[in-house]
Amino acid sequence: MSCFDSLSAREIARGVANGEFSAEEVARASLDAISARDGEIHALLQVTEDLSLARARELDGMRARGEALPPLAGVPLSVKDNMNLIGSRTTCGSRMLEDYESPYTATCVQRMIDAGCLPMGKANMDEFAFGSSTETSYFGKTANPWDTERVPGGSSGGSAASVASGEVTLSLGSDTGGSIRQPAAFCGVVGLKPTYGAVSRHGIVAFGSSLDQVGPFGRRVEDVALAMNALVGPGADPMDSTSQECPVDFLEHLEDGVEGLKVGLVPALSEAEGISGEVREGVRAAARALEGQGAEIIEVELPHIDDSIAAYYVIGPCEAFSNLARFDGVRYGYQEPGCATLAEQSEKSRAKGFGAEAKRRQMLGAYLLSSGVYDRYYYKAQQARTLITQSYARAFERADVLLFPAAPRTAFKFGEISSPTEMYLSDMFTISSNIAGNGSISVPLGSGPESGMPLSVQLQGPAFKDRRLLVFARAIERAFEAKGAVAPAFAGKGGEL
Amino acid sequence: MALSEHDVRAIAEYARIGLDDEELHEMTAYMNDAVAMLKPIVDFDPEGVEPTFHPIGDLSDVMRDDAEKPGLSLESALENAHATEGRLFRVPCILGGGGLS
Amino acid sequence: MRKLAEVLRDWEAVIGLEVHTELTTLETKMFCGCKLSHESEPNANVCPVCLGLPGALPVPNKEAIRSIVKAGLATGCAIQKRSMFYRKHYFYPDMAKNFQTTQGPVAFCMHGHLKLEVRGQGAAELPEDAPNDRFASTPTVAMNAHGGTGSLAFDEAAGKGELIRTEDGYEVPIRILRIHMEEDAAKMTHIGGAEGRIGGAAESLIDYNRCGTPLIELVTEPDLRTPEEARLFMEKLRRIFLAIGISDCSLESGSMRCDGNVSLRRRGATTLGTKTELKNLNSFKSLHDGLEYEICRQAEVLESGGTIAQETRHFEPARRRTVVMRVKETADDYRLFPDPDLAPFDLSDDFIEGCRAELPELPDAKRDRFVAELGVKRADAEALAGEPALAAFFEEAAGSAKKGAASVANVLLNVVLGQWNAEGESAASSSVTPAQVAGLADLVAEDAITSAQAREVASAMAKTGESPETIVDARGMRQVSDDDSLVPIVESVIARCADQARQYRDGNQKVIGFLVGQCMRESKGTGNPKRFNELLREKLDAAAF
Repeated sequence: MSCFDSLSAREIARGVANGEFSAEEVARASLDAISARDGEIHALLQVTEDLSLARARELDGMRARGEALPPLAGVPLSVKDNMNLIGSRTTCGSRMLEDYESPYTATCVQRMIDAGCLPMGKANMDEFAFGSSTETSYFGKTANPWDTERVPGGSSGGSAASVASGEVTLSLGSDTGGSIRQPAAFCGVVGLKPTYGAVSRHGIVAFGSSLDQVGPFGRRVEDVALAMNALVGPGADPMDSTSQECPVDFLEHLEDGVEGLKVGLVPALSEAEGISGEVREGVRAAARALEGQGAEIIEVELPHIDDSIAAYYVIGPCEAFSNLARFDGVRYGYQEPGCATLAEQSEKSRAKGFGAEAKRRQMLGAYLLSSGVYDRYYYKAQQARTLITQSYARAFERADVLLFPAAPRTAFKFGEISSPTEMYLSDMFTISSNIAGNGSISVPLGSGPESGMPLSVQLQGPAFKDRRLLVFARAIERAFEAKGAVAPAFAGKGGEL
Repeated sequence: MALSEHDVRAIAEYARIGLDDEELHEMTAYMNDAVAMLKPIVDFDPEGVEPTFHPIGDLSDVMRDDAEKPGLSLESALENAHATEGRLFRVPCILGGGGLS
Repeated sequence: MRKLAEVLRDWEAVIGLEVHTELTTLETKMFCGCKLSHESEPNANVCPVCLGLPGALPVPNKEAIRSIVKAGLATGCAIQKRSMFYRKHYFYPDMAKNFQTTQGPVAFCMHGHLKLEVRGQGAAELPEDAPNDRFASTPTVAMNAHGGTGSLAFDEAAGKGELIRTEDGYEVPIRILRIHMEEDAAKMTHIGGAEGRIGGAAESLIDYNRCGTPLIELVTEPDLRTPEEARLFMEKLRRIFLAIGISDCSLESGSMRCDGNVSLRRRGATTLGTKTELKNLNSFKSLHDGLEYEICRQAEVLESGGTIAQETRHFEPARRRTVVMRVKETADDYRLFPDPDLAPFDLSDDFIEGCRAELPELPDAKRDRFVAELGVKRADAEALAGEPALAAFFEEAAGSAKKGAASVANVLLNVVLGQWNAEGESAASSSVTPAQVAGLADLVAEDAITSAQAREVASAMAKTGESPETIVDARGMRQVSDDDSLVPIVESVIARCADQARQYRDGNQKVIGFLVGQCMRESKGTGNPKRFNELLREKLDAAAF
């Protein structure tokens, strides 16, 4: 008997296929771990026990009938609570959607379930994904499993924490400006933001439609590769006009190594002001590790990258204003009772249904899109986007991947950053790949020598070269032996298999 | 030019976000902070650069066939609404309202 | 209020139209696979996309894009290969997302024109000394800073707006600014107030079946000058859209809707006056009469020293007046921006040429062909060419008629169509065959039956499916024209109707109609009325002395 949290996704699927344990036993182990651990971190907003057991029994039935099992059979999965799943609520961490049940399931979630995953629960998040600390959820904060005084990062903080605490093996998050990579870094897990369009957005509640991308969290690079195989599925999603076919086996070449490949360092970023010493040293250490495995380290420039933050805080709020306009309490969502007129009902429902940051972003977007203002902000931000994308293209002519910090520092304490605009800067290294759309990944290096908190680096690659990111991430994982680490306070707590 | 509380009130009315006086005050401060942070975009002079509204490379002309697909049952369509009447959604009195056209 | 003709002697009316057409011939909505239907129960055809549920994404209907390209090609527009969908925001529950997906500065179709042929009485609405280069004084509507340049080809095609006087009217080109693709809104019913109107309603009910219906909006340049021109433009546009098969174009059911913008300026002035927008013009008559009323109202306001407010007005046909719906104090700010969920368009030549290849012969060309090649009267040709199913029916009938197509056109329009209309049938639905109509037309052309008999035969052949010849023979209906049979009847009628005979002799010519009727009755409808008329006059005139 051992705890399921020590197993990789592949080991779980193999164990289920071989009959070492049943999928239902894995589901119960995960449920047991959740009840033992989640009280301290509050990573999950709902535990979807019935759904997970039903799926587990289906898989066990398939095995009993001698049918082939899918590649992730029996692997416990949590999904961010902005992803629709029939039979659960989709709250987006907001009072607005406290009771909302979607009548359809998101493509990304369905593809994971089809690949054999057990949907264990819905993960906490900053309200409507506006935030970098998961402190703004209407349903309470999530704590970092490595230090419960600290934030798990955000907005997909619940997803990262549920994986780092070992409650589940895989999780899905969404990343609009770093919302997968920054919490992955804060919680010491692998988090991939695939290239925009590689994974369908159908069924995830939109924040910034041209920025949002769904991606997986795991404690191992290989787990993330398996999740990506499921997510890209058999092809582009006919329900998402911006999704594209991504016919790649992410497991293939995973162990090929990085010999002869080029890693680009961008000194303007990795040596920027405001980065903590351990983060700066982490990037150097990762570079040395890759060099040690035969990669060549070069320096590249990324002109216009400085404009990413301003461009992001124009495009993001504008798209958010537009996407959140539909929440007026008529067809769904919080509705203020007793209003005499529709206008009053809309105003009050939105005033009470949305939290402060959701209102701020929508207000900013409504202003930036207004007549006369649009040309000076939105239009120019999209022109900046062209230049940033071109910068990346030139950098990738020289380098196979770029190596960045994932965040300026490791996880901070609750309440430590209170100014919204200061909080915005914690996305300074992640935003640019949402602007350009290319893929990027956070990879843990172990504990930071100063903070004792998980330390990570970020790799960025060219569009639709996400497999290459996994190859580099695997090389770093190999060097730092950070593979599969569950936060020590939680490892092995409940969840015996 | 800074946004006044009057300006912010007008935006809130348009965006259907009710704000009390204190919230209005805070929102105005935030809006001005945020707009100041966006100065690099205003200063940016990208003369002649084509905007990228969609980060999807050359993808264009995405269309579907004109074929019917099953939609939602009436029950599913209405299940999350607070006010319905028979098969319809219900909203309170629309004062001075007006749709698009 | 003064009459339109008087007003237009002093003022020039500047009229532009916005025409919305639902693409009713498609199977599904614009951005989702929900069924298009006007008949379904409320909220029967809805899905996450058209209900605006969280996380749902739009995917454009290819046939809708093909339809709008065809509409553009048929109206002389330059098809824009590169365009995008935009989001137009307004908080109103008839649009489930609180924004409408529509197009921005560049529409799929830009800068077309239609040539109007204004004839007869309607042509008199335009003063005879009206300027004949009307584009010169109504410059094209300006594009926004990031708008497309479009094509200037239309300038050459449409000329300078030159008005050409014809025998009984005039011809003039009317420019089309653009045709863009968008989605329709949900249907709202306002209850608890008066007459279902919004004012005073206690609450409103929403049916999202129509939400997301593919809609094309055509905007003209302000080139129209009279209500008659506006009506003719709309009629012509409807005939074209029917011919290309993109919509059922029903003004009655609202699948084709028209708003009018109208302003007045002193004759000879070049600056535009303040315009009002006119709604509820849901028939050709309302379009004409609403504009007529609004022009006269504006003239009265201006002549009494008042000013016109920029406002939306609702035409009430029963009371023949317009009332204010909404005053536009400031321009609406819809926060328009490119929809990030919809990939841009860069239409290929193949796509556009594929649409062009499917265009049928357009109504004007068809009309001209009917006149030139088949010898049909121009008015009949126009009526036939405007309804595709009717035109096809006519062509087939004309092909099998022995006595010429003109008689087929006459019988089809004046006998058969009336019957179809009365029975709710049409060329497409009726069981009457083109061969039957051809046979009937031949019988009429041969004077074998009267037009009264033709109606009876048409009705019988619809019911029995028999050929008109069979029906005529079976009922002994052949028209009798020989004097041996007719003269005794005429004599008998004159003897019986001595009073009327005297009236005729005293100079009351009109009474002859009554006497012919009596002859027809006595012959059981088989006598040739023309011959009866001649014989009656002969006998009565001869006996006058």
